[in-house]
Amino acid sequence: MSVNKDEILRNEVNESSEVAEAGAEAAKKTLGFGFWLCAVWLFVISMFALLAPVLPLKDPGENFVQYEEQENPLTKKLEEQPTIPPYSPSSEHWFGTDQDARDIFSRTIYGARISLAVGGLTTLFGLLIGGSLGMLAGFLKGWIDKLVSGLFLLSLSFPGLVLTILIITILDRSLLTISLTFGILSIAPIGRLARAQTLTFSEREFVTAATTLGAKRSRILLRELFPNVLIPMITLAMVVVAISIVGEGTLAFLGLSVQGSSTWGKLILLGADISTLQTSPWVSFIPMSFLFLTVAAFNFMSDRLQDVFDTRSIYVTHD
Amino acid sequence: MVTFGSMSFLGDPLFNILGPIAGDTESPESLKIIEAAKAEYHLDKSVPEQWGRWAWDFVRGDFGVQFSTTGQPPVSDLIKERLPRTLELMFIAQLFALGLAIPWAVTSAARANSRIDKGLTMTSFAAISLPSFATAVLLYYVFSVKLDWLPDTYNAIDPFWGFSHDHRLIQLILPALTLGIGAAAQYARLLRTDMITTLREDFILMAKSKGVPRKRVLYIHALRSSLFSLITLLAINVGFMIGGSIVVESFFRIPGIGLAIIEAVLRDDFPVVLAIVMLVSCGFMVLNYLADILYSVLDPRIRNTEQGQQKKVTIL
Repeated sequence: MSVNKDEILRNEVNESSEVAEAGAEAAKKTLGFGFWLCAVWLFVISMFALLAPVLPLKDPGENFVQYEEQENPLTKKLEEQPTIPPYSPSSEHWFGTDQDARDIFSRTIYGARISLAVGGLTTLFGLLIGGSLGMLAGFLKGWIDKLVSGLFLLSLSFPGLVLTILIITILDRSLLTISLTFGILSIAPIGRLARAQTLTFSEREFVTAATTLGAKRSRILLRELFPNVLIPMITLAMVVVAISIVGEGTLAFLGLSVQGSSTWGKLILLGADISTLQTSPWVSFIPMSFLFLTVAAFNFMSDRLQDVFDTRSIYVTHD
Repeated sequence: MVTFGSMSFLGDPLFNILGPIAGDTESPESLKIIEAAKAEYHLDKSVPEQWGRWAWDFVRGDFGVQFSTTGQPPVSDLIKERLPRTLELMFIAQLFALGLAIPWAVTSAARANSRIDKGLTMTSFAAISLPSFATAVLLYYVFSVKLDWLPDTYNAIDPFWGFSHDHRLIQLILPALTLGIGAAAQYARLLRTDMITTLREDFILMAKSKGVPRKRVLYIHALRSSLFSLITLLAINVGFMIGGSIVVESFFRIPGIGLAIIEAVLRDDFPVVLAIVMLVSCGFMVLNYLADILYSVLDPRIRNTEQGQQKKVTIL
C-alpha cells in the first residue's frame, strides 16, 4: 500500500522533463488499441463480479468431488472411489479446482467482488474528500491552504501498509474499515494533485475573465476549475484503484483482510504451499493472473490517459 | 498519539496477560492478582498518563513489555533481535535492485524508442503491476519448487557468509529478489527518463566527439549526472521497502520485524505493534529528510544556490 510512493515517483519522473519523449510521442496522440483492450477487460471482470450471484456460475463453496472406478483392494471389485483433488482444468472446471475440489473460476470471480469493492470504495472516498479538500486549499489559499497541506504532508510521512496494519489491529477487519483506511491514506496524494492543479489553473486567463465578469466563487470553482482538475485526478484515481487492490491483496495474503472472505490475495496464498505448487500450480496462478491483469490494466490506462491529455507536465509546476 | 489513545478500543489487555483469571472479579485472590498486574503494566493510570510514560520510555529506548503471560522478552529486546535480519534483507534487496536497474535503464535510454527500449519499458511496467506477494509466489515456484536451485527456508541460526543452502546469504536470495525486482522496475523507469535528458546535453556530444568509447560515455559520463533523483528515490524507497518486507518475511518465514508485527497483530499484542509502527515511521521520516539533504550534497548545481547553502548548514 503505497499510494504516496507512486506520486513521489511520478513527480520525480516529471521533474526530469518529458521533453525527450515529447518530440517522438507528439505524432501519435491517440489512446491506442491497448487502452481499449484494458477497458474491455475491466468492464468484463467488473460485470462478472457485479452479476456473480445471477450468472450461471458454480457455487464457490461447493465441493465438486469426482469419482472414478477403482478396484477395491479388499473386495477386489470395481467401485466408485473419490479421486483426490485438486483436479486439473477440464471442460467441467475451466480453471481446475483447489484442494477442496472447489471451482477456481467461480471462486476467483467471487473474490473479485471484494477486491474490486475495496478498490472502488477507496477511490471514491479519496476522490470526494481529497479532491474537495485539495481544490478548496488551492482556491482559497491562506491559512486553509497551509493547514490542509500540512495535514497531507503528515499523512504522507507514514508508510501506508504499516499504518493500515495498526488501524485494523485497533478497529476490526471489515470491508468498510479496510476501505476507509485505504481511503484516508489516498486523500493526501489525490488532494495534493487537486491543489496543485487548482493553483495552476486559477492563474489562467479564463478564470480571470470569469472573475471580471462577476462570477460567484462557487461557480468558478465548479464550472471553471473542476473540469480542468478532473482529468488529472481520474488518471491518479486509476492508479489508486490499482494500489488499493494490491493493498487489499497484501492484507489478505498476510491473513489480515476481511474475515472469512476469499479475496484474490487469500486465494493466491491458499495455493502457495510447496505441495500444491508442485502438483497443481493453477490453484495459485489463476487468481494471480486475474489480479495481475486487473492491476496492469488500471496502471496502463492511467499511463495512456496521462500521455494523451499531457497531464504529466502540469504536475511539475507546483510542489 | 491518537493511536495510543485508541488503545482502549482493543478490549482488556489483562486477558492476554493473565488469561482466564482476568474475568474472575468475584474471588478476592484473583482480584489481588489483577490489581498487581494493573499496577505493574501501569494500566491503572489514566490514558494521558499512560501515553506520557510510554513516550518517555520510547525516547529512552525502552519500548515496554509485551502483553503476554510473562511480559518477556521486553519489546526492545525483541526488536533488537529481529531488526538486523530485516536490515540484511533490505540491504541485499537494494543491491539487487540497483544491479538490475542500472543496466536496464542505460540499455533502454541508449536506444530510446527502439524496439529494445519498448520491450524493456513494458517489462518494467509488468514488474510494477505485479504485487510483491505475487512475485514471491512466482519466484518461489520457478527457482525453488521447479528448478530447486535455491532454498526456500530461512534458518536464523545458520551462519551468514557462505554459498551453500545452509548459509543465510543464499537463503536470502529469493526474498531479496522479490523485494528487489519491484524496486528495480521503479528505479529503471526513473533513471531512463533522466538518462534520456542527460544524453541530449552538450557534454555528452563533446565526450563522443573526443572519441570516448560508447560504453564509457554511457556508464561514466551520462550515468553520473543522471543519478541524483535516483538516489533520492532510493532513500525514500528504503522506507517503503519495510512494507514489502512484511509480506516477504511472512511468506519466506524470516523472523524479522515484519514477521514480528504480523505475529503481534494476530495475538493482539499491542505494545509490540505500536513500537514497530513508531520505529518504522520514525525511520521513514528520517530517510525522507536524508533524501532531501543528499540531493543537495550530490548535486553541486543546487549546492551553490542559497537554498542549497541552508541545507548544507542543517547537516552540520
